[in-house]
Amino acid sequence: MKNKHKNNNAKKFGMVIDLDKCTGCGACMVACMAENNVPFKDDETDKLLSITWMRVYKLNNGESFPDFEECYLPRPCMHCEGEHGHSPCVSVCPATATDYNLETGIVSQIYTRCFGCRYCMAACPYHARYFNWWDPVWPAGMEKTLSPNVSPRMRGVVEKCSFCFHRYQLAKDRAYMEGRRDIEEDEYQTACTQACPAGAITFGDLNNPDHAVAKMVKPDPHHHGRPMNPKAFRLLEKLGTNPKVYYMSSREWVRKTGDKYLEDETKVKKH
Amino acid sequence: MKIDRRSFLSLVAGGAAGTALSPLPWKLIDDSSIWTQNWPWTPVPTDGESNYVDSVCTLCPGGCGISVRKIDNRVVKIEGKKDHPVNNGGICILGLAGLQLLYSPSRIKSPLKRTGKRGEGKWKEISWNQAVSEITEKLSQLREKNIPETLACISGSAQGVESNLFKRFLEAFGSQNFMSVPSIQNSYDMTIELMHGAKGSVGFDFENTDFLLSFGSGILDGWGSPAHMFKANSGWKTNKSKMVQVESRLSKTAAKADKWIPINPGTEGILALGLGHVIIKKSLHNKDFVNNFSSDFNQFKKDVIDRYTPDKVADITGVDKSVIINLAKEFAGASKPLAICGRGQGDIPGSLKEFGAVHALNALMGSINSKGGMFIMPEQNYIQWDEVKADAISSAGMKKDRVDEAGSVKFPHSKSLLNRLSGIINSSKESPVQALFVTGANPLYTMSDTGQARKSFDKIPFIASFSSFMDETAHQADLILPNHIFLERYEDVPTPPGFAVPSIFLAKPVIEPVFNTKHSGDAIIKIAKTLGGSIGESFPWTCYENCLKKTLGDKWGTLLNQGVWMDKNFKPSTWANAFGESSTQFYFVPKSADPFSGPDLINAEGDQKSYPQILISYDSMRLANGFIADPPFVIKTVSDTVLKGKDIFVELNPDTARELGLHEGDYANLSTLKAKVKVRVHIFNGIKPGVIAMPTGLGHTAYDKYLAEKGINYNKLIGSVEDPVSGLDAAWGIRAKLAKA
Amino acid sequence: MSKIKNNKTDENKEGASGFIILFFVAGLVLSLVVGWIVFPELLYSQKEQPVNFNHALHLEEVDDGCESCHFFREDGSFSGVPKLAQCVDCHEEAQGENPDEIIFVEEYVAKDKDVPWLIYSKQPDCVFFSHAAHVKGAEMECSTCHGHIGESESSKIYEENRITGYSRDIWGKNIGGFKKNTWDRMKMDDCAECHKKITDKATSVQTKKDACFVCHK
Repeated sequence: MKNKHKNNNAKKFGMVIDLDKCTGCGACMVACMAENNVPFKDDETDKLLSITWMRVYKLNNGESFPDFEECYLPRPCMHCEGEHGHSPCVSVCPATATDYNLETGIVSQIYTRCFGCRYCMAACPYHARYFNWWDPVWPAGMEKTLSPNVSPRMRGVVEKCSFCFHRYQLAKDRAYMEGRRDIEEDEYQTACTQACPAGAITFGDLNNPDHAVAKMVKPDPHHHGRPMNPKAFRLLEKLGTNPKVYYMSSREWVRKTGDKYLEDETKVKKH
Repeated sequence: MKIDRRSFLSLVAGGAAGTALSPLPWKLIDDSSIWTQNWPWTPVPTDGESNYVDSVCTLCPGGCGISVRKIDNRVVKIEGKKDHPVNNGGICILGLAGLQLLYSPSRIKSPLKRTGKRGEGKWKEISWNQAVSEITEKLSQLREKNIPETLACISGSAQGVESNLFKRFLEAFGSQNFMSVPSIQNSYDMTIELMHGAKGSVGFDFENTDFLLSFGSGILDGWGSPAHMFKANSGWKTNKSKMVQVESRLSKTAAKADKWIPINPGTEGILALGLGHVIIKKSLHNKDFVNNFSSDFNQFKKDVIDRYTPDKVADITGVDKSVIINLAKEFAGASKPLAICGRGQGDIPGSLKEFGAVHALNALMGSINSKGGMFIMPEQNYIQWDEVKADAISSAGMKKDRVDEAGSVKFPHSKSLLNRLSGIINSSKESPVQALFVTGANPLYTMSDTGQARKSFDKIPFIASFSSFMDETAHQADLILPNHIFLERYEDVPTPPGFAVPSIFLAKPVIEPVFNTKHSGDAIIKIAKTLGGSIGESFPWTCYENCLKKTLGDKWGTLLNQGVWMDKNFKPSTWANAFGESSTQFYFVPKSADPFSGPDLINAEGDQKSYPQILISYDSMRLANGFIADPPFVIKTVSDTVLKGKDIFVELNPDTARELGLHEGDYANLSTLKAKVKVRVHIFNGIKPGVIAMPTGLGHTAYDKYLAEKGINYNKLIGSVEDPVSGLDAAWGIRAKLAKA
Repeated sequence: MSKIKNNKTDENKEGASGFIILFFVAGLVLSLVVGWIVFPELLYSQKEQPVNFNHALHLEEVDDGCESCHFFREDGSFSGVPKLAQCVDCHEEAQGENPDEIIFVEEYVAKDKDVPWLIYSKQPDCVFFSHAAHVKGAEMECSTCHGHIGESESSKIYEENRITGYSRDIWGKNIGGFKKNTWDRMKMDDCAECHKKITDKATSVQTKKDACFVCHK
């Protein structure tokens, strides 16, 4: 049985978000919350406390009227690989509640181990992690609409986008039934990818040259997965977090906003 | 034996050693840690068999197909249905949150009768039989007094079997006063009627256009069938088709457009006429269409177009002359240009002059019934029922004029003018409406000038709401007969707005009703049968489902199995056949009612001195502003530069802000002729100076803690401004004053 | 005189140290008894299943063994403990005169009420267990984890841990957590034991074991 496992090539599940198509509607945000039993409060306007595993940001080109331009950027967890799996958040967790899986590239968060020190929240440069300050409260009856595939969290634990790995689990179940171990591209898709009405999000295995995500951004294995497609970029590329979420935009100011460029930088520095 | 301290200590030491060598402490630690993870108030959803039930979302007329995931008998997720012709798997933010409506704290769980005063919120739960008898009692009184025409109905839609059952009920009862909530559909329908001499609605071949010119339409903000428009936009980005947005504010649509043309609000129609001027002047129009299928082109040119020179248009619209000329050339130079209009999500019908101007642009380019253009869609007529049975009382009632004066000499082409209702009731000594049904609508929130609307409803002695939620109108009702929500009932969905293929979709129940609610179709049939006589006879069906089945006839099987029926063979008529039998031609300047005869601009109420700024609204995908309000997930996504705590933010250009001494986040008093409210300021470079923009969808006073008392209702601040030809609301904004608080 | 005194104190000392040892031993034995015998008695409450079910009898009647009632669905999910609908296929009416069956038919089938079975192998919500991976993928026997429950002729007493609410079968019958057979315990370490021995994946960076979400959700 040991030999059976040797045949699986390591996957690297990642996402490509086309910012030309993203309309900022927020459907991905709600799809994620509905899929993953994310709680909600009476007042969600304090965005530091609002738990949104997927969050849509507004970027602008800094010009004044009428040359002002806006762009919308959905931000899930980046599932950073860092160097050989040392994501910023994984490296600091004292409870091993979060870990990087080299076989799938997913950074998982297991709530029962987390004791809420929030060191990972401090480490994450993308503000992708959220803390449950309070126990979740669902209005009477609404708890019946919770999904059994994702564990609801109690107060005191950190949560974040999981790339819907419960869907990976379910896809594997079906594969086992049919006597195979590999899952197809369309069998494992995240909730946000599936819901996006503009089709702006694509999800798949970056290591698999047949998958759409790999074809769209062409990650460079010799440069920590940096995209070879000039229209593609990753957020905070210079930090070396090696994130798995790629963005594409035909507008240069959008690409430059993705990283901390100095005012006088005209070209992307080689990294 | 003496037990001294030493002995005692050794006993304890022995105990400790033994305890350590026993499993007790380790097991207790393990068990306690498990216990701490097991708080009973954190739900543990039970697993079970997963299956999908398909249906259609009816939270808006968009008609998206949905696949609802269930675990055993519980609904756990709504997803978009793959291969559905409208959305093909995608789904909008509101549809995704639909499950939260099922168990919403605002949900009305059984029929309610008001105890206490209106608006106090004191209700008594009653049975359905009681509710029906209460209504029939009130209605019988109207018939006895021979005033059946004082029964009115406000329905969210005029289409579909359910709405038509209500309409039929009123007709059988003796009242013409069935009013539907207006939208740009009404303006489009009227434009077709006037300019084509034919009855129909509009569809757009968005997939094939290569240049889309949008006059303020919120293509990505909820206009038309939202998910369908999103897909179309993604298609344009892939095909490199151009999309130009003309709007006074950088909406999401404008932000994604290839070009954003900021314009003075309310002047979009003038720009269209200006573009027509340039196109005709440079002879760029489609000669085939214009010469062979219209006969009043020269009259149009002389009486209408010639006036709107680029200079004049630049002056009125605030758009540069060169931009106007270049835009006209680009539009005319495209192979399949298409122009659309209807501001924001299209809730305000708008000015017929504007619609006529934009339609004329499409006509000039021959983009009517051609690929990539707009299609004239035939009227949907699948609802064919026998004549309504009448008696003496109902015949007399049906002869009386409509209370909103639609179809009268004043407004001969309009079918329903809900915007005129509150004014008419308030100016009458006794309300011409003595009983009101409200179904699929929330008029006390959505009607302009909510203050006046509320005053008029106070004068109506009996209000029955069929709403599923305790919305503003239900809150003021005397009797509530709650409808099932969309997941619990059958509903036929006619062709979505702007969809270019005649279709019917079927929404099916996904879950058994969770509360003691009743399909409003069933309720109205029951009320009719209880009243009996000719009214009862007009409703030969046993129940709504039976009626729906019979009405859909041979399409029922397809609809039940696939949820979709489309007339795949539909092709828009050629130009030779695109016009009514009486006209056989296109009218640039319709004879029966000339939309171009009115003033250039629809008035924005208020005088410039007292109200130096202009207040407009903007629609957003994240703020549902109709008869469905935001569920908790959706209001959660609203940015903190739109809503913070309970305060709403209005957008202001930085130059205007500087003039008024306002900074980001400042509190300010915003006043119009209709109301004075307190708001906060958000500095935004995406808006014209002198213009204030406020989001719609906030300011609810009913519902529950997730929504109530957050922000301001834009409709409170603005009134309806009647279009001179249609009588429909054409207000695009109102004059306002913003000052630091 | 001092000699006598010393003897006396020596005696006392000897006696005192004897007492000390005695008390120590007494404390030791007492706490060992409490820890090993009294504690498990107090910790677990004894519960009966709502219906006394005879597995051996039913196994004779079906063709596919355990999977006849505990089956896999098409999507790979596991049906777990059968719902009423499945039992009703045969037990619409009482098949014999067994009093347990009578209770089942009268109290549950007739009232269309699902039997509230107490589940021995119930795991906490954080656990994701894929039956498909183990039975279909790894071709394991049911008894490896569940023991020979199929051969039982009556329902085992359900011993519920008063603190956690889970069955005694999870920690194991032995209060010390010692096991002889693979089916004696069902804690995470027991799953990990097998996973380490057979699949031995070290694909997680921190734990050097398999991915967390292989077993957790």
